[in-house]
Amino acid sequence: MLRSSRRQLSIRDFVLSYGFVIALVLVFIVYAVSTKHFLKLTNLMAILHTCAPTLIFASGLALVLMTGKLDISIGSIIFLATATGGALMTRYNVSPWIAFPVMMLIGAVCGAINGFVVTVLKVNPFITTMGSMFVLRGIALTVTTGVLVGIPDFLTDFGSARIGPVFVDFPIALVFVFLVYLLHTRTKFGRYIMAIGNGEEVARRLGVRVERVVFVAFLLSGLFASMGGILSMAQVGGVSLHMGVGLEFTGIAACVIGGISLFGGEGSFGRYVLGVLTLAVIENGLVHMGASVYAYPFVRGGIIFIAMYADTLKSLVQTKVKQTIEEPEPTGVG
Amino acid sequence: MNRPFLRMVGIKKWFPGVQALKGVDFEADQGEVLALIGANGAGKTTLMNVLGGVIQADEGEIYIQGEYADIRTPLDAAEHGIAFVHQEMALMPTLTVAENMYITRFPSRLGLINYKATKERCTQALARLGIGLDPGTKLQHLSPGDRQMVEIARALLSEPQIIILDEPTSSLTSREKARLFEVIGSLKQEGVAIIYITHLLDEVFQVCERAIVLRDGEVAGGGILKDLTYDDVVRLMIGSKEISPHFGRRTAHIGDAVLYVEGLSRRGVLQNVSFTLHKGEILGLWGLLGSGRTELARAIIGLDPIDTGRIQVRTDGSMKAIHPQEAKNWIGMITEKRREEGLLLPKSVKINVSLANLPALISRIWPLIDDKRETELAEKFVNRLEIVISSLTQPVATLSGGNQQKVVLARWLQRNPPIYIMDEPTCGLDVGVKAEIRKIIGELADAGAAILLISSDIDEMIGLSDRFLVMNRGRIVAELSAGSPKDKLMAAAAGVV
Repeated sequence: MLRSSRRQLSIRDFVLSYGFVIALVLVFIVYAVSTKHFLKLTNLMAILHTCAPTLIFASGLALVLMTGKLDISIGSIIFLATATGGALMTRYNVSPWIAFPVMMLIGAVCGAINGFVVTVLKVNPFITTMGSMFVLRGIALTVTTGVLVGIPDFLTDFGSARIGPVFVDFPIALVFVFLVYLLHTRTKFGRYIMAIGNGEEVARRLGVRVERVVFVAFLLSGLFASMGGILSMAQVGGVSLHMGVGLEFTGIAACVIGGISLFGGEGSFGRYVLGVLTLAVIENGLVHMGASVYAYPFVRGGIIFIAMYADTLKSLVQTKVKQTIEEPEPTGVG
Repeated sequence: MNRPFLRMVGIKKWFPGVQALKGVDFEADQGEVLALIGANGAGKTTLMNVLGGVIQADEGEIYIQGEYADIRTPLDAAEHGIAFVHQEMALMPTLTVAENMYITRFPSRLGLINYKATKERCTQALARLGIGLDPGTKLQHLSPGDRQMVEIARALLSEPQIIILDEPTSSLTSREKARLFEVIGSLKQEGVAIIYITHLLDEVFQVCERAIVLRDGEVAGGGILKDLTYDDVVRLMIGSKEISPHFGRRTAHIGDAVLYVEGLSRRGVLQNVSFTLHKGEILGLWGLLGSGRTELARAIIGLDPIDTGRIQVRTDGSMKAIHPQEAKNWIGMITEKRREEGLLLPKSVKINVSLANLPALISRIWPLIDDKRETELAEKFVNRLEIVISSLTQPVATLSGGNQQKVVLARWLQRNPPIYIMDEPTCGLDVGVKAEIRKIIGELADAGAAILLISSDIDEMIGLSDRFLVMNRGRIVAELSAGSPKDKLMAAAAGVV
């Protein structure tokens, strides 16, 4: 009896979890048919190219979301790290061998501060990271002295480097995500993250050091954000004063589309990659459709809303399934 | 070997406003099944939380094998060979059976988790308990009984020397219960000390050898169960308080119909259910687990959708068809899940009591809640139901289960709906509070309320109901009159009419 209900469930599960894959395919077909250039190899490679920084900077955020928490400061962390790094290299002629570690250190420290405030001072993660979002952007603006920060040529070259048709940064990002995937599925830390997402109290009772794990998740979120920022500044060719604005929401959207539940405890990095791709494909297609620039935020907002709704729907369906299964055949009274 | 194996001395614990443990001495030995019994709020779970490192005692010491044990966290407890199987299951629904069991002890190779080894070990560990679950199944797809077994299997992984089982059978079927008792038997043979917390005295006499009874945070007594009777234990539990487990039957004054349900159906759950409920009547809805009792209640008050059917209630003297979504205006719902459905735990007693009745508390002068009236009414019902609280501002979370259920009752009494649906209203409460709540239910009916009562306790059913409806597989299969014998009810519920 249980078997059959599980099979029905998995079809339902599939539609809810991979519904966006169906959407991705549909959108893909629509774009391919209705625009001239969408399906060209160069454009498809360009889509992957735009995915590369996102894949990296949102992967730490994904870990935070899986614990059932939130980090909306990663856009500002990216800005601070890249502005500092760019300034060090172009304004003070610091070697990249020093500048890159410094950028990553900045990311890690910012993440650690978020983690400290959330786990030790027990401030709500949304409020905490909203605070650091403003504060870090303020510091970064000071670092830039209000003008665009340049980057060394080798970095710009790297940003557009290719092997054959493939931009170099995409495979790098894929390898990176694979490492995060291993961290998530094959280490205790990864499993603890899922345990905490299922319920902090439960995890604590089992002896998981909840505070420590959440702290590390925030730290990684900051670190990975700064690393994604490096790819991003290389692609753009500099650090503008708007660097990183709204990237936290791009990241959250990609995660949620990729099936990472905001309720915590749910998600995988395989689907996460698909989520990032979906978002990139939709936005790229809009360009080819000749959509107004003002339509992008509208579409992005719409996608986030739909993905969130699907997330809620999924948790609703799951509770219902639970209820129906919780009635075994009558075997005794109460 | 040092005897006793486990010794807890002078354990004291204060919570805001109450002293939960008033210096408890407690001993347990290897190879014995020790029952820890007590009414709700007696301190059983608090005492075991201290032993399991979930909370820390304010005073007192724990000795294991004669040596002082400093237990501050669940990990400390585990290191001292203590495993705690919690009442609310500490499981993670989105993870698999294997992940749930090995979350803190994954076998690993080069820092990476070795999944193959995990699965193999998991299968073995489950087989030891006679469970044939697939380690890759997600917990959310398991029955409550299987989940409980996973929880127990996990506790056994650390090869503990002391196992605390907190109400382990509350969600098990009788077959699963038998399996659990077998496991307890074999653990005893292996020399494990088992501490068994329960409300169910039948189980105590069936499984345990010795009992310790707690009352109001103190040891009230105990001893070898062979030398004790059921009544002895009950007397220790409730102290001097009067109880009448078998209450005298009320003489009901049954009036006009107030609720009329016609042809209610929901695919796969309810089939063509019709019945009438009258003023002043307690209608017992009887059936086995999964017969559709709770589902019927949920459908009537609009918590679950219905496919077909009509619901009528009496308003202003005439029957009127209503939509289930409106039913909450006439029907008060009291369930066993008071923590999940009924109460705002961190909020005060006052706020919880007035929650269902806010429109009536609005001041006449401006559209704000009249604080004076709110307090007066809350006090009135707290006194009427004899809810034990330190003040009206005490958070509900700090009350015992029985007092929490009374807060839920107080809330609806204040609103005073003509119809009540009560789903297991005394489930999980101790004998004394059960009797009090049953008395309140009887008084409610005498005062003219119509009550649909669902209960798994057949004595409670027979003691309270004026009429029975028996359900089986989503249908009403029989209607029986008051005073029907137990066996007739059981037979009807099992489908032998």
